[in-house]
Amino acid sequence: MLLTLAFRNLWRNRRRTLLTLSAMVVSAALLILALGVFSGMFKDMLASATEQYYGHLVIAHPEYHLRRDLYAHLPIDIVDLPAIDRELAITGKSPRLRSFGLLSRPETSQPVELLGIIPELEQQVTSLQRQLTAGHYPTAEEHNGALIGQGLAHKMKVQPGDELVFITQAADGSIGNDLLIVSGIFATGDSRHDNNLVLAPLPWLQQVLVLPGRIHEVAMVIDDPMIAAQVADRMAPHLSGNIEVLDWGDLLPEMREVIAAYDVSRMIIVTILYMATGLGILNTFFMSVMERTREFGILMAQGMRPWSIRGLVLLETLLLSIIALAIGLFCGAIMTLYMQQVGIDLSAYITPVTYAGGTILPRLHAVFESGNFLVPAGMLLLVSLFAGFLPANRAARLDPVAAVRED
Amino acid sequence: MIDYFHLAWKNLWRNRRRTIITLAAIAFSIMLVQALHNLSAGVYAGMVDSGVRAGSGHIAVYQQNYLAGREEALHFKDLNLVSEIEMIDGVEQVLPRLYIPALAQSSRESRGILLIGVDPERERQINPFLKSLTEDAMIRSADSRDAVVGARLLDELQIKPGQKFVVTAQHQDGTLHSELLRVRGVVSSGMKDIDGSLILVGRERAGLLTGSSSSVHELAVILSNPSYEQSVLGQITTMLAARPDIEAVSWERAMPNLANAIKLDYASQKFIFLIILLIVTIGVINTLLMSVMERMREFGVILALGSKPMVLRGMIMLEALSLGLLAAAFGTLLGSLATWYLVAVGINLADLVPETLEFGGVIFDPILRANWNPGWMIQIAIYVVGLTLLAALYPAIKAGRITPVEGMRHH
Amino acid sequence: MSLIELKSVSKIYRLGSQEVQALTDLSLTFDAGEFAVLAGPSGSGKTTALNLIGCLDRPSTGQVIVSGIDLGTASPRQLADFRLQHIGFIFQSYNLIPVLTAAENAEFTLMLQKVPKRLRREKVCKLFADLGIDGLEDRRPSDLSGGQQQRVAIARAMAANPQVILADEPTANLDSHTAEDLLDLMRQLNQEKGTTFIFSSHDDRVISQARRVIRLEDGYLAEDIRITM
Ligand SMILES: Nc1ncnc2c1ncn2[C@@H]1O[C@H](COP(=O)(O)OP(=O)(O)OP(=O)(O)O)[C@@H](O)[C@H]1O
Ligand SMILES: [Mg+2]
Repeated sequence: MLLTLAFRNLWRNRRRTLLTLSAMVVSAALLILALGVFSGMFKDMLASATEQYYGHLVIAHPEYHLRRDLYAHLPIDIVDLPAIDRELAITGKSPRLRSFGLLSRPETSQPVELLGIIPELEQQVTSLQRQLTAGHYPTAEEHNGALIGQGLAHKMKVQPGDELVFITQAADGSIGNDLLIVSGIFATGDSRHDNNLVLAPLPWLQQVLVLPGRIHEVAMVIDDPMIAAQVADRMAPHLSGNIEVLDWGDLLPEMREVIAAYDVSRMIIVTILYMATGLGILNTFFMSVMERTREFGILMAQGMRPWSIRGLVLLETLLLSIIALAIGLFCGAIMTLYMQQVGIDLSAYITPVTYAGGTILPRLHAVFESGNFLVPAGMLLLVSLFAGFLPANRAARLDPVAAVRED
Repeated sequence: MIDYFHLAWKNLWRNRRRTIITLAAIAFSIMLVQALHNLSAGVYAGMVDSGVRAGSGHIAVYQQNYLAGREEALHFKDLNLVSEIEMIDGVEQVLPRLYIPALAQSSRESRGILLIGVDPERERQINPFLKSLTEDAMIRSADSRDAVVGARLLDELQIKPGQKFVVTAQHQDGTLHSELLRVRGVVSSGMKDIDGSLILVGRERAGLLTGSSSSVHELAVILSNPSYEQSVLGQITTMLAARPDIEAVSWERAMPNLANAIKLDYASQKFIFLIILLIVTIGVINTLLMSVMERMREFGVILALGSKPMVLRGMIMLEALSLGLLAAAFGTLLGSLATWYLVAVGINLADLVPETLEFGGVIFDPILRANWNPGWMIQIAIYVVGLTLLAALYPAIKAGRITPVEGMRHH
Repeated sequence: MSLIELKSVSKIYRLGSQEVQALTDLSLTFDAGEFAVLAGPSGSGKTTALNLIGCLDRPSTGQVIVSGIDLGTASPRQLADFRLQHIGFIFQSYNLIPVLTAAENAEFTLMLQKVPKRLRREKVCKLFADLGIDGLEDRRPSDLSGGQQQRVAIARAMAANPQVILADEPTANLDSHTAEDLLDLMRQLNQEKGTTFIFSSHDDRVISQARRVIRLEDGYLAEDIRITM
């Protein structure tokens, strides 16, 4: 009964209700879209660091992470540790040996970071095989095939098939140098990788560094990067003292914090944006209550309690916000879906931007994240109830005699 | 006209509460947009300032094509360019630099790095990494073996200040050359990329590695005020007319990462501004439409008395104009107060994000401070007045379209 | 030449698919200086007829000719101008603009005519004195009694010196004493200034004051009597 009354009251002044509704829908839907795009940027940023390089989880010697000490190596058989095998969330793992050195051609030399990898395993962890611009991913059969970044290839003026010399300091103190042949060239958009990173077969690098059978780390990926810390916590007790597990948050603390701070900044953005919407709702319900002064007077004269009047007005606001939410969430989801499927390419206007250890790609591309829907939805309900409260109070405090006399 | 304004003003205050709420909504949005914009302007200015000082200056001079791939071979003889550019009004400092991709080696480790050859005297006055160093941590001369090294790099190489290390790079003749350097100063910026890869040495010493001692890759021109950029850039370009192999570019081109970081951030902010203004406009349409619908009967009378529809419309537009102007004035006042606070006190991000944050290749100061931007504030205020008028258009047209008889039959 | 001429005027209102014949084949002429009443029961078409005479509305068929000008083809702008220059209105429920003071209300048509403020005020003050409401210039309509409001409405109608003043049931909201006073006032103005008054009423006492009674019934002209005194 009260619900029907509230619903009909809403549609008394159609135009006003629709305009208020549209403001609510617009704010909710555009917010959801904006948040989806921001999340997309964060996802790109995180992916640029994890899926192109670090992986979500890494196990290594405790001395390794901070200074990447050449001598903090482990035997390759840690790849098959029960602690890893038991963890079902892990979908890929890749043993790696890392070396820093100069990549040389007769004309030029460039400083590079070289990862010794096992091609089939590395492809489970990083996605460089999907970002090839020339040649092919090195195969296990090519004993010295290298995958290099496009920026590097450009500087060194090499193409697949060309030869390069890698020079570094080996574990025995000697200067190691050996020949690589470019198998493929990748482009991630992240200049730090494109200008700097080289992938080569693990056995080849083990030989160059004189570290047979040794690796520096095992990089792993999981389905949901956000649970990396939990997985790491589960694994840690099962690892021996000379092995530690790190999640991407440990590797990139500034990114972890930026992503954590997003929850707060999302709240701030939503609150600020709804402030204007809330004032609109406040206005509408004040108008609607003031117009109905006489009517409320009659209802009260007939014995309706102030609390029921208050409840009626609040019910009207609640009803309006629920309708707005249904439409707003739907429109927001449609727009997010569009931006997820199609997106907008900005590479003509801007280049990739580094942020908090990752790279934001020059594209607008949304992702679905439940918080981006829940926060705007919850806040809209809260703001509407808040905005409905003053007019509701006002209606409840009317003096029936004076109210009936009013015209 | 005065009479009409008078009438509009009185009509505006008919429903006091409604007008005040609407006014509050508009003023609040103006404040928000102005304060946020000023805050970003302040943050961006800070980022640009530290970015150009640590990076390639407000204006950078390069060999043509250098920017495309930063190839080591593309250096040029500076002749007396440095002193000539220094003479231009508004130029604070000119920093000649040589960038050499090299391998740094200690007895245990090796790392690929980009060796930066600098003029220590000049660099010290500008470069934020060097400014914090004491006298005995500085590179003593352009040909000394002294090096200033990033803290993380030092740690990775497992050496200490005062110890020696070797850098190796490819000489012009194709062979590998090594130089022995000694760690003098340590830079700890908080930025992983910088701390993990920075090596500054005197440019004469750096030049020995590649055999390009009297050459430079970059002249970073630091201005005493960023607003001189256009005029100084023009003067340098004119000066370089005789040397077609060399070009001068603005920091936006030399440091696209920083420029685009700012662009991207500002674009997302603009989108938020757009939503705010859209919502406010809908609110204003709502208020004005309600106020017009309530007064249809009165409009009927006014038309019957012989007012032309256009005059009636004008009256409604005048009401909207007064609402807009009032809100703009009030909002700008609030915006100024907010900006004043943000300039004087600022927002401390350190509570939210304790780590040092890098954005667009520069560290941003955890205390965000605004910059005054009166021109832009007025622009946004005018903009909102325009939006209010736009919002009034439909109600005004609607009111002007009724006939006196229809109007008077209302209610 | 007569001042206003209705030539077999009909007015049909459309309400959705329904048609309401408010006036049927009405022909009337008014001369300058008349003091005429449109009488008839509720719904007989009085307001409709006044609206047509006052160029507020257009007839469905027939012609309305004022001062020899056929207003059938005039644009809303031209009609507005015409009303502003030639016709004054008094409405049943006063219809003063609530945010303006009494004097400002009376000045309204003069303001539309772009008469300077000082001149306007002078003229309105004189009118207020004539109408016996001097001293109320700065009051808001809400602070005035019904009779006072209606006098302000008359002042507003008179201010621009129109040839014709149309009044739709000007006394309907007033008590009989006040109504009589108001009617006396209107007749006085009619005699002193020669302004034509055409008003509607269904109050017999008011009707009896008129010198011409036009009686409408169901949109038809029932009778048109001139009373010579
Ligand atoms: N705008 C309109 N739309 C539809 N029908 C109308 C309209 N105006 C008047 N009518 C109808 O036309 C007829 C004549 O109405 P009108 O208002 O002229 O009568 P009236 O004599 O003034 O009555 P009252 O004494 O009640 O004021 C009535 O039946 C009325 O319902
Ligand atoms: Mg009538």
